[in-house]
Amino acid sequence: MKENKTAPYLFMLPALIIYLSVIIFPVFYSLWISFQSGTGIGSMEFVGLKNYAQLIHDEVFWMSFRHTIIWIVLTVLVTTTVSLMLAVLMNQKFRGRTFFRAFFYFPSVISAIAVAIIWRWIYNPQIGFINQFAKMLGLDFTQTWISTPNTALIALFIAALWQAIGQPMILFLAGLGGISPDVLEAASIDGANGVQTFFHITIPLMKDTFIMVISTLLIAAMKVYDIVKGLTDGGPNNATQVLASYMYNQVFQYNNVGYGTAIAIIMVLMMLLVIIPYMSFTAKKE
Amino acid sequence: MEGKAKKHAKSTLRYLVLIILAVLWIVPIVTLFLTAIKAKSDFISGLGLFEIPERLAWENFANAMTQGRLFLYMKNDLIICLLKVPLGIFISSMAAFALTRTKLKHATAWFVFLLLGMMLPMQIALVPISIIYNKLGLINTYFGLFYIYIGFGVSFMILIMHGFMKGIDFAIDEAAYIDGANKWQNFFHIILPICKPAIATLFITDFLSTWNEYLLASVIINDNKLKTVPVGLMTFVGEHGTDYGYLCAGVLISVIPVMAVYLIFQRYFVEGMAGAVK
Repeated sequence: MKENKTAPYLFMLPALIIYLSVIIFPVFYSLWISFQSGTGIGSMEFVGLKNYAQLIHDEVFWMSFRHTIIWIVLTVLVTTTVSLMLAVLMNQKFRGRTFFRAFFYFPSVISAIAVAIIWRWIYNPQIGFINQFAKMLGLDFTQTWISTPNTALIALFIAALWQAIGQPMILFLAGLGGISPDVLEAASIDGANGVQTFFHITIPLMKDTFIMVISTLLIAAMKVYDIVKGLTDGGPNNATQVLASYMYNQVFQYNNVGYGTAIAIIMVLMMLLVIIPYMSFTAKKE
Repeated sequence: MEGKAKKHAKSTLRYLVLIILAVLWIVPIVTLFLTAIKAKSDFISGLGLFEIPERLAWENFANAMTQGRLFLYMKNDLIICLLKVPLGIFISSMAAFALTRTKLKHATAWFVFLLLGMMLPMQIALVPISIIYNKLGLINTYFGLFYIYIGFGVSFMILIMHGFMKGIDFAIDEAAYIDGANKWQNFFHIILPICKPAIATLFITDFLSTWNEYLLASVIINDNKLKTVPVGLMTFVGEHGTDYGYLCAGVLISVIPVMAVYLIFQRYFVEGMAGAVK
């Protein structure tokens, strides 16, 4: 009898030990570090909320915060829309549909670092694709989107978009595939046109898919780092600095360990806005 | 007749849209390739991107593999993945088994708690992990790296295995227990083999995301001999910033194995993602 009660915990144990040591413990440890000041090696000093107070007056922090928010909004609006449109296109029956589906998905399997480096050759002002293509068409035009503060973030987002639409597209396709054709036929018999059917029937029926897609995209957007690191490293002049890259720079370039960790804590607090609703949604579904 | 013509026009339009999109989609890879086949002298003489050099600089690829250490980076990455992925799947399956097929108290609460890791940013662990790893001497070790990889992977793996195991008929467990199997035997010999499709999907998708991980690897590994592909690629770019052809050849090489894996196991991606929605 005793074995029966402990057995479930024994099965949980390995995963739990790693999970607690790699994720849960560091969260609390980070919180503690964020109340300290110093370089991390030896001399840390407890300073209370000083790091957070300093963040409020840190212009670059607010820039990074704003860029992260812009990134989130762009991701939710643009990435969701583009991948949904592609999914609708791919959901129709036509020759070569499997090929196209695989084709639009392929950038998703490449590492974000490689994607960033690949896109350097699109934006390169001398030998990059865009300028060389313009030259071929006889246009005298030099694009410096990635090195101009006003356009750098958008240029970065476009590079990220190339990679980001694959997964949501597949999720939407799965959602679209789950809708019974009878429902759509009934709507069309009732005189609804394609657009009406899509907005009033298809989209509401895909509620769960939307929740899944938007929450995964939101989470990924909040943590965006690799593509920034590989393409602009936060520049020019912090024009593409996001919270994750600013955190990294503070900790590993300037050795402001406590300060950088405070930024990580801010990131977690932002995440909670998504985590709490998502968790209650999952708990309810169980 | 009119209907048919309309249908035909619609089909043509669809292909037109798809082909334009497909061309746009392939541009980055084509650019990479057209740059990779050029030697340093081609850039100096101002050869355009779309011009093919008289002599294709295939040596760029060979050099990137050996001098650029890309072959070494791939080997390292493969070792990490082969340690991390099976172990991660195994312990996550055990946890999912406890959550779905035993009388674990507060199973839903445990499940939700274990999912948190999927959402927390890795940044939260960076400083604590590097402080602890420095003390324990785990910086620049494979163990140090794949241990945290497992930690950050557990949540998603449990989510997928949980979803799959929930759907297995409970009569199977009962039959096993009546035949005298204990919980471990039931898990290892009966339930786990049934989960093969989910395991295959997880194996492929997790293999790729582990292979591609940059942030943690860049913090834990700084020894050139031990770097994984994404971290090595950044080093490679740093070392050869102006040698364009060589650089692009390196990036292209780093992409090829991933492409191959994707093409071979394509259906697992689609099924796996679809499974996550359920």
